[in-house]
Amino acid sequence: MNATEWKEKLSAIRDSFSVSIANKPAENPEALELRFLGRKGELALLLRDLKDIPLEERRALGALGNSAKAEMEARLSELKGAAPAAGPAAPGIDLTLPGLPYPKGSLHPLTITMNRLAEGFLKLGFTMSDGPLVEDDYHNFEALNFPPFHPARDMQDTFYVDVKDAAGKDMLLRTHTSPVQIRSMEKQEPPIRVFHTGRVFRSEAVDASHSFTFHQIEGLYVDKGVSMADLKWTVDTFMKDLFGTGVKTRFNPSYFPFVEPGAEVDMSCVFCKSGSGRCPVCKGTGWLEVMGAGLVHPNVLKACRYDPAKWSGFAFGAGIERFAMLLFGISDMRMLYENDLRVLKQVA
Amino acid sequence: MKILYSWLGDFLENPPPPQELAAKLGRIGLKVEGVEKTGASFTGVCVGRIEKIDRHPNADKLSLVDVNDGSGVMRVVCGARNIAVGQKIPFAKVGAKLAEGELKKAKIRGVESEGMICSAEELGLDGYDNSGILVLPEDSAVGADAATLFPRADHVLELEILPNQAHCLSHYALARELSVFYGLKLKEPSAAKTEAGGTAVPVEIKVPETCPRYVAAVLKGVKGARTPEWMASRLRAIGSNPKGNILIDGSNYVMYELGQPTHCFDIAKLSGPRIVVRRAMPGEMLKTLDGRDLKLDPGMMVIADSSRPVALAGVMGGLDSSVSDGTDAVLIESARFDPPTVRLASRTSGIKSESSYRFERGTDPELPAKAARRLAGLILEAAPGAAAEQFADNCPVKYQPAEITVEPAKINSILGTGIADGEIAACLRAFQPDLKDSRPWNFVPPSYRQDIEGICDVAEEVARYVGYDVIPSVSAMPMLPSSPTQQWTAASELKASLAGLGFSEVFNYDFVSARELGACGLAPETALEVKNPLSADYQYLRPSLLPGLLKTLRYNLNRGRETALIFETGTAYARRDGGRAENVVCAGLMYGPLPEGGSWLGGGAASDFYQLKGVTTRLFAGKGGFRYEKPQNAPAYFQPGRCLEMRLGGASAGYLGNIAPAVASACDLKDGEILCFEVPVGALAAAGKAEFWQRVARIKPVSPFPHSWRDLSVVLEERHEWSELERSFSGVQDLASARLMDVYKGKNIPAGHRSLTIRFTFSSMEKTLNDADVSARMASILDRLTRSFGARLRS
Repeated sequence: MNATEWKEKLSAIRDSFSVSIANKPAENPEALELRFLGRKGELALLLRDLKDIPLEERRALGALGNSAKAEMEARLSELKGAAPAAGPAAPGIDLTLPGLPYPKGSLHPLTITMNRLAEGFLKLGFTMSDGPLVEDDYHNFEALNFPPFHPARDMQDTFYVDVKDAAGKDMLLRTHTSPVQIRSMEKQEPPIRVFHTGRVFRSEAVDASHSFTFHQIEGLYVDKGVSMADLKWTVDTFMKDLFGTGVKTRFNPSYFPFVEPGAEVDMSCVFCKSGSGRCPVCKGTGWLEVMGAGLVHPNVLKACRYDPAKWSGFAFGAGIERFAMLLFGISDMRMLYENDLRVLKQVA
Repeated sequence: MKILYSWLGDFLENPPPPQELAAKLGRIGLKVEGVEKTGASFTGVCVGRIEKIDRHPNADKLSLVDVNDGSGVMRVVCGARNIAVGQKIPFAKVGAKLAEGELKKAKIRGVESEGMICSAEELGLDGYDNSGILVLPEDSAVGADAATLFPRADHVLELEILPNQAHCLSHYALARELSVFYGLKLKEPSAAKTEAGGTAVPVEIKVPETCPRYVAAVLKGVKGARTPEWMASRLRAIGSNPKGNILIDGSNYVMYELGQPTHCFDIAKLSGPRIVVRRAMPGEMLKTLDGRDLKLDPGMMVIADSSRPVALAGVMGGLDSSVSDGTDAVLIESARFDPPTVRLASRTSGIKSESSYRFERGTDPELPAKAARRLAGLILEAAPGAAAEQFADNCPVKYQPAEITVEPAKINSILGTGIADGEIAACLRAFQPDLKDSRPWNFVPPSYRQDIEGICDVAEEVARYVGYDVIPSVSAMPMLPSSPTQQWTAASELKASLAGLGFSEVFNYDFVSARELGACGLAPETALEVKNPLSADYQYLRPSLLPGLLKTLRYNLNRGRETALIFETGTAYARRDGGRAENVVCAGLMYGPLPEGGSWLGGGAASDFYQLKGVTTRLFAGKGGFRYEKPQNAPAYFQPGRCLEMRLGGASAGYLGNIAPAVASACDLKDGEILCFEVPVGALAAAGKAEFWQRVARIKPVSPFPHSWRDLSVVLEERHEWSELERSFSGVQDLASARLMDVYKGKNIPAGHRSLTIRFTFSSMEKTLNDADVSARMASILDRLTRSFGARLRS
């Protein structure tokens, strides 16, 4: 075969391919591929014939054959629905110019923290409960085992409001979220598993770690035979949900009038590679105080007409600001109430 | 509370080192906030005298000083300015151990220094002038060990004492706590062996229910007795200020040592002399030790002599009967007072003292006699010529200890543990060594632990004893269904939408000032008022979130921001029927050009009413029954004519509009439109469905046929509002939407008229609409517009 014959043959194969493509319903692409481009296909056999053509012509013919092959492959893949080869480039534009600036919004760090902690409670089967911010003395103190004239009241400096409660006492801004424990138990018979998160107020001077307005979250579970071990498991699971299964928790004795025994919960510091002794978050102790907890005091159960001989329960809670400061790396609580958009917009 | 380590050591055999002690206290719930070194811990420093001062040959600011250390004269280099010949100074020789470590021989700017003249800081001493070297008293002996001039090296532990830890409010009490929980051996303080008896000053208790015990000891011949230095130095170390008079300082010392407040009366100043414990009578006055004239009320318990009150019981003594350096005969009061009575007196009088602090928390009923003996002993030691004349222990109401039946199984069921009986018994015996072996145990808490009232309290003590780490982390809690509140869900949805629309969430305080309320046109008298506000800035509870939002806007504009999209979700307070009402509200402001700072792609026009309306429309998209209406009762801070009310079904869903210019300028916000919206989250939640499956939108089928659209431009009088036109389209067959594309006034449009271009989209569920179908529907629309509004086609 000479070069001219070879070219004619190539052209014949092309024509026959085009005809077959045009009648595609008759032949599926796989069959066409086999017939034209397969190892024993028409084109492959033709290319093999090149070996008989003199070397000086062979190169040009080879190129012709290959371009025909590429064209046929492209048309076949188009037929198969695969992406066609990219077309020519679009006219040049500066792709690095900025895009349309959609305004960037943000949730407050405290909302993000509260949402996440609330999610933790919901996963553990706690139902959200609610209560007022302007409270009466009974729900904020007395029912929670802070008798009148008890020094425990000094722990929570209170703002009073110029309206009276049913007992004729000044109403107050709740100093903790615990009144919602009482309100929930008043509304519902045991067993009960509820939580609440929200704003609380204490008449304290503002500094880097104190604010007269802050937020808490706390959960309550009352059932038959609830023990400190149940509490520890719940707290442990809650913390692992937040900070991963590697986090450890530890209880230390503590005091809150509405629980007995009472405990303070430390979590192992996840912010330091412990051992360096220089972690600014845990001050090198390896532990962070994060929560208060304990078994519901029998006096609290009694105040809610739950029989302490029959029912027992636990409560645990935390300050939202504390967690927000840990999570977002904030060292001054005041930053959370300054509302500087340069700060807030850093948060997604 | 400050605890001096060496003082604690008076009562403990082999106490652990300070840091270990702090850790041990922490594990039983006593929080140590700090451990500080105090006193002189340096060695190798003697008293030196400056003999001669020369200038350093190579440095202007240094001197060469000849120091006599008693054995010879040495030459040292010194940089201090306050040196003078003849001064006595602390001289550290090579090898001395100072705050920063061991002193080594040094060459300073080419001159060898044979030692160092020290500052207070270099010696590790706190509370001394540190501006230069520490100048020692003139009478210090040259060559003497300088450490002897200062309190001995020691540690001060700072403890946070919780309200239930009254039994730890002294050095002895803390030592006792350590002995109970860690088995350390406790040592008792020494005390005077005063015989009971004597009637020099009779005591009458008229109110035994609030004063169950009153020990009155009388000492005579105490005149001129001074406080020994060791006692003064201990008091100073824990931050108390010794007066030099043993009667005053000894009383304080005993309180810090044993936890029992005592008081000394000058018997010469008591009329009778006698002591009467009673309620104050109406109109009685007392001049207290701090010089205040206190009007007593009958709720207060006082200590009186035969004619007048001489002390507010448990709170503070009277000035007229107080001891002085001239006192020769003294009556020591060591009593037990009812905690609420003392607390009430302290609060009504406004006097808080170390004494009232301890009585409020409850003192040990067995302590008054012990403390009186201890104080008498200390006074007698300081006043060798003195003698005890009376020791009267008046105890009309005996303390009845509680008895608690302790079943080991109950303890384990509370704690969720499997603590062995023997270990529980060991804990109980640490409190009550004579506990009988028979189970259940009959546990009698010691007198200093009146807070142990029931089995839960015992369980806590057992947990402290074995360590809280014994409690396992296991539970067989049953699963329970859980859900957030409707209000939380509604608020969360609003927050997420707003953040997605470019709004940033802010948190303001619930407190506002009268000025802020006034600026927003809100009457302070209708707002709830805080009776004890931190300041006038925080006097009222916000009836609206607007004042806080405007403050936030101003704060950010003052920091160079041009655009602000902010929102807040919080409680708005109101007065209702003499009580309070709380409403959770979501409110926001929009201000400035969008996109912020402009863009090469265009935009950059200032936010206006319609932009905000776009936001609120998006917020409520898909909520059935949502519509805008002319407001009936919009808050006064909205500009009239620039405000709409939002409605969801029958309920109000809040307002949106421009802030009235008068409000903006009253808030120092002058330029540009401020747009505001507020949505009552509570009302929204109440209007919505409780269950998720009821809340989600039901999806309607869409037409499988292509839709068609036509634009229509009509001219009509301006008084016809768009919403009227929109309503008139209702019932047009196959009309899917009528979208306003253009509003035009001006050239070719008659005055008082405007041209509206509306795009009508038609879609049928049955077929593809052809040209004739669409034309017929468009004709119907034009007909409605012409008949109802006198509209004509724009040519």
